Amino acid sequence: MPELIPFRWPKEWTDPAKLAWLQGTPINCLVGEVPPPFPTGALKFVKLEKDAPPEGIATTAGVWPRVLPPERDVAEAGPTGAPWVDSNVGHIRLAQTRDAGKPVWLTYTPPTDKHVIPLSSYARSVAEAAAHGAQWVITLGQPFLDGLEAHTEDALRSWKRMVTALEFFQRNQEWAKWEPVAALAVVSSFAGETELLSYEFLNMAPRRQLAFRTVLAKDVPAVSFERQKAIVYIEPGPPEGEVLKRLLAFVEAGGLLISPRGIVKTAPDATRMQYQFHRLGKGQIAVPPDAWYDPYLMVRQVHLLVGHRLDVVRVWNGGDVGTYYLSSPKGDRAVVHLVQYGAGPTQPVTLGFDRPYRSARVTTLESRTVLQPVKGQLGVEFNVGEFSDYAAVELEA
Amino acid sequence: MTWNRREWLTAATAAGGLAHRLSGAAGATVAVARCASYGPGVSAVLGTMFDQLGGIDRLVKGKVVAIKINMSNPLRERTGFRPAWFTRWTHPDVIAAAVQLFGKAGARRIRILESSTEDAHPLEENFLIGGWDPDAILKAAPSVEMENTSGAGSGHDYSRLEVPGGGLIYPGFDVNHSYADCDVMVSMAKLLENRTTGLSLSMENMLGITPVTIYGDAAGYEAPSDDPYGSRNAILATGQRQPPHTSPAEKDPNSPREPGYRLPRITVDLLKARPVHLAIIDGVESQAGGEGPAPPPESQSRIRLVKPGVLIAGFDPVATDAVGAAIMGFDPMADRGRPPFETCDSTLRLAEEASVGTRDLSRVKVAGTPVAKVRVSFRGPS
Repeated sequence: MPELIPFRWPKEWTDPAKLAWLQGTPINCLVGEVPPPFPTGALKFVKLEKDAPPEGIATTAGVWPRVLPPERDVAEAGPTGAPWVDSNVGHIRLAQTRDAGKPVWLTYTPPTDKHVIPLSSYARSVAEAAAHGAQWVITLGQPFLDGLEAHTEDALRSWKRMVTALEFFQRNQEWAKWEPVAALAVVSSFAGETELLSYEFLNMAPRRQLAFRTVLAKDVPAVSFERQKAIVYIEPGPPEGEVLKRLLAFVEAGGLLISPRGIVKTAPDATRMQYQFHRLGKGQIAVPPDAWYDPYLMVRQVHLLVGHRLDVVRVWNGGDVGTYYLSSPKGDRAVVHLVQYGAGPTQPVTLGFDRPYRSARVTTLESRTVLQPVKGQLGVEFNVGEFSDYAAVELEA
Repeated sequence: MTWNRREWLTAATAAGGLAHRLSGAAGATVAVARCASYGPGVSAVLGTMFDQLGGIDRLVKGKVVAIKINMSNPLRERTGFRPAWFTRWTHPDVIAAAVQLFGKAGARRIRILESSTEDAHPLEENFLIGGWDPDAILKAAPSVEMENTSGAGSGHDYSRLEVPGGGLIYPGFDVNHSYADCDVMVSMAKLLENRTTGLSLSMENMLGITPVTIYGDAAGYEAPSDDPYGSRNAILATGQRQPPHTSPAEKDPNSPREPGYRLPRITVDLLKARPVHLAIIDGVESQAGGEGPAPPPESQSRIRLVKPGVLIAGFDPVATDAVGAAIMGFDPMADRGRPPFETCDSTLRLAEEASVGTRDLSRVKVAGTPVAKVRVSFRGPS
């Protein structure tokens, strides 16, 4: 069955002629509580109710992706004082981990708060979800519906931009099967007592450009960690049984395991950042001084324990840009999705890699450019430049 | 640890006093050399400059040398595509060259220092975030360390530096232990303008020794904050609040709250409290128009990349900065209202009045390349 590209049919659209908006676009699925009151041809209808995901699909509410504009006398910042970014990466990757194999749909609708939502930013919602292998249930807010009704230039251009994003991801469906490039694996049940902490880890790590892959704890014995240098085990207590055995094997082979207290009974070999380090084979186990409780601090600590030397992609001038780096199975091709959460164009963004890529091509929602590598002190760099909302950097080794 | 003036004078006799004697009572010597590009050649150029100053062996042999570099935040931002090492930070090749020469001269320990206003990361990690492997610096000599001095760092507590004579704004400062646990203080700056203080050279670089946990915008009121975050606007630049109760408060809360009045004076206070024995300015590549990766929106200035191709060094930080200012096309004798001090008092004048050194180029011997041959107008046409 082809992948479903969902569109929430507006209740206001009672005229079948409105179907013309969808003709020639990748949208192949109408979504709502009730189907439109007329035949919809080849378009499949999927009933979507709150708290009742359609069969075979994992849904998660999500948030409108953006940097919240600062407000006077209102705290709109993260723990560092940096602007707060509302992103769906944590939502998507948690859903993909818990419901492996199922398509993930984000069901949020455009906010109706006092903030102006540029129509052009709808393409960001489409791209953010698709870049991470999910789908946003495209939902047009009233200003967009009014604009299309009046055929305003802004609405028409923004609709086209959204369709451009959908078409781009349709042409590159193979990326959804590629593996994230990451030195770190996050292992957890992502449920019960640890659900909030593990979810927040997935949510906050991208804000530090900390790349990771997720593994359900129960799957650990069957998983290869060949491409990882470190594992963080997020559970209230240390691993046990076959999971413990597999994780210790990872350490003995040279990896770093960051685990709750209790995994080691012996005295530490060293202490760094208040974590106790225990040598085992070629690797180390790092144990925090106390139980983790603050996800922001935890992400920061884990990132420093792993070390920025192992950052798989470095980003400059991308303060409000999220990255998702995927590699083909052979490792000869890769893509870095860049999602910009702020308003207006980015600063001139540069990406750095320790892999010796020979060429790159950047595709934005408006243009496509070939990039040549620039020698950086830590590897190769590509000067991506400015873009709005989304860019894909395709790399060849 | 708290250092009073007597202890300071005792310690300063070993290094600072020597540096002052090396600079010469009648006038300072400042070495200027062409250096067209970064790379391994920097070491030879800097070595010659040290020789022109009379050598550094007596200054650093057997001593703990602290090097305050300029690696100001933000770490992940560049001027256009150009890495910050080439625009607003001290270049690692210059740092490594100095470290190598200090090591050869017998330094017992060399500590690379900078305070981040974003984080308490190990400084090595911040080098990596900036895009540079710190190993080249750490391996340039034996016993080289790095420390992010944004907080107490590896010290158990802060060290108090008192300002001899009581200070212009602050009578003392609480700082990371690294600025007290050293025999020799080196300020290694970039040849750079600053929109608040006019110049961002070896003296202004010392503003960055103030820990953000105490002097940053998110500093605690009762005690230093645990985490460093925030620029030094509210306490140092605009004086909207005092440092935590545990640290020395400013002398006169009724003095002007204007950054252009305060920061030059605080810089002088810091130089008196923590004397600089050797000033090095990296002017191989830089940017004109400001110290940040981009000018603030209200600014009329435009950042442009420049390649002065010059290194400057001296034992007198005032004289060294004065020569730097002249190379940038400014008159070091200028004061408020004249470039580059359009909206601020001259740190050069205030430092000279406080007997930190001399800004009068007629009293400064320039060794090596004459200023006129390396002058690059920072306010000239792009």
